[in-house]
Amino acid sequence: MNEVQTTRRRFLAASLVFSSIAVAAETWLRGAAAWAGTRDPATLARFGRLLFPLDGLADAVYVQVMDRVLMSLVSMQPGDDVLMITEQSLNSQQAGNWFDLDAAAQIRAIENIQHEAHFAAVLSAVRDTFYNDPAVWAHMRYPGSSKEFGGYVQRGFDDINWLPEGRS
Amino acid sequence: MSRRYAHDDASVVVVIGSGAGGGTLANELAQKGIDVVCLEAGKRLTLADIENHPPTMFARMGWLDRRIGPMVWNGKTVGGTTMFWSGITPRIQEHEFRALSTYGQLDAGTTLIDWPLTLAELEPYYDKAEDKMGVSGTHGIPASAETNNYKVLKAGAARVGYQEITSTRTAINPVARNGRPGCQQIGFCNSGCAIGAKWSTLYTEVPAAELTGHFELRTECMATRINHNKTGKVTGVVYVDAAGATHEQKARAVCVAGNTVETTRLLLNSESAMFPAGLGNSSGNVGRHYTRHTFGIALAVMPGEVNFHRGTRQSGIVLDEQYHKPERGFAGGYIIETLSIAPFDVSNIVGGWGQHNAAFMNNYTKLAGVFITGEDPPEAGNRISLHASEKDQHGLPVPVIAYRDHANTTAMREHALKMSKAIYDSLGASHFHGGDIPVGAHNMGVARMSKNADDGVTNRWGQAHDVPNLFVSDGSLFSTSAAANPTLTIVALAIRQADHIAERMQHQTL
Repeated sequence: MNEVQTTRRRFLAASLVFSSIAVAAETWLRGAAAWAGTRDPATLARFGRLLFPLDGLADAVYVQVMDRVLMSLVSMQPGDDVLMITEQSLNSQQAGNWFDLDAAAQIRAIENIQHEAHFAAVLSAVRDTFYNDPAVWAHMRYPGSSKEFGGYVQRGFDDINWLPEGRS
Repeated sequence: MSRRYAHDDASVVVVIGSGAGGGTLANELAQKGIDVVCLEAGKRLTLADIENHPPTMFARMGWLDRRIGPMVWNGKTVGGTTMFWSGITPRIQEHEFRALSTYGQLDAGTTLIDWPLTLAELEPYYDKAEDKMGVSGTHGIPASAETNNYKVLKAGAARVGYQEITSTRTAINPVARNGRPGCQQIGFCNSGCAIGAKWSTLYTEVPAAELTGHFELRTECMATRINHNKTGKVTGVVYVDAAGATHEQKARAVCVAGNTVETTRLLLNSESAMFPAGLGNSSGNVGRHYTRHTFGIALAVMPGEVNFHRGTRQSGIVLDEQYHKPERGFAGGYIIETLSIAPFDVSNIVGGWGQHNAAFMNNYTKLAGVFITGEDPPEAGNRISLHASEKDQHGLPVPVIAYRDHANTTAMREHALKMSKAIYDSLGASHFHGGDIPVGAHNMGVARMSKNADDGVTNRWGQAHDVPNLFVSDGSLFSTSAAANPTLTIVALAIRQADHIAERMQHQTL
């Protein structure tokens, strides 16, 4: 992480702590009327799981990832707030709030907006953070860097055992 | 011992770029006792700087300056793109040197030519390049170890009837050689090889050149302009150093090896009253005929564990489709090569979201993969040019890249992906993804060698048709793309060019 990113992260971490009480209260008052607008990672984690549903991956990992996604999106100006625009776009697909729909209806609504630029930007940000996260890697049984362990020359680079014998 | 040359020392050859072309050429010249100053825009890393994570290393070594148009993937680091490459080193085939004669002009938009040299002429240099780089299966070097991913490819390819399946032709040491260790199967070699088993000029050509006492490497020095005299011969290279100071290094000859985009930009930006369209560009061909191979990626979920993250990205290839067999519906051929990629890249390449994407991501350890590289016909409209008004941090015009697939390229990709699917289906794959990868990683053709000066920028030695002491020394030279991964040919051409430059200097004609 470079210096600018570190500084931004510290700033954001502080902002999140100070704003969390206000956000919680606001969420309670408004229900989930503005689910993305809450910037609450736990709420957004449900959105993250719909995008990248890994079997058996704990909610806590999605929460942690969405927290980091928010940090990656925070520098955007209000007019460019792709998360907010995505929320508005999803809510406009039906009479009720998108967040209150069942999963099948939520997926249908996402399918309707999946080619829109703001959704592509959100998807890209979530994908980048999610699939570069060591906790997600561990769940997928990709252990990350191998150079510290001497690579795989002695650890199974050629251990495949299910291929049919010979050429057929 | 690294030398230091004065800026006004006009006896030196200036080489711009330290990758496959520039790094090799500089070392070959220095070995002959010719004094070389090498200007490299990037920093000099050590092996300790290499992290086994491609996104981290691309941010550290990649060329990230502003460009307009489809992405071009090249290095900005000592070693250039040899830090990123996968190490696969097939030779160009005899008929591919005669692309126009063999295929004919495909349509009004293509600009195929024959190379102004033959395979027979290049063969001795291929031999030297393979020895230098340590290519598996050549010069007594054993075959590469067979990774799980290669074993899947080998079994499936045999089932669909392919014969030429080989774990050779990779410039990654299977065993220790020439002071570099054998491969430890660390994986994701495109983040740079942390032990130096994969050939890169960073730890081969560059230090070897320094030992001659005839070589100076200047890092973080961005060449911005090549100057010439009244007779039209180049006299020096203007560059900006790390501190932002501008210098001119005088030169006896200049060799440009900045990878296609930067090679084009430097030549076009060196326009003058004598060369109003850019240096070496009286024919208007600088930046044109840009090719980047027919690319394709296939990923399949196999019935058992593959763990393709374990071990080299490239451990073998299938050559059966590299020939020109027009009955397939396209000109030229392609090579099928093993490919392994990290989770983010899999998700990104498969694309989409939800269950479609998760079908692959939930089975990451069962994935097998291949990469397709094949002939891509040149078109005049596929080109690199300079933006009329946008400037970068050095005040240089921002490069504009225009590239689209020719119908021949699309047809070839479709065939290659169909065959890749057959390979994996033959072993019981449950899911398959086949697609394009819209990135220029094999960049060629923008200063191409041609017999006739009207058809290209350089002659059969890579010497500019217009300027006798200006050379191009990277993939920009390729007359056509052929199917083979370009690095081996870039290195062979650089060794050959060094012989030519030395001979010309000896005869006082340079």
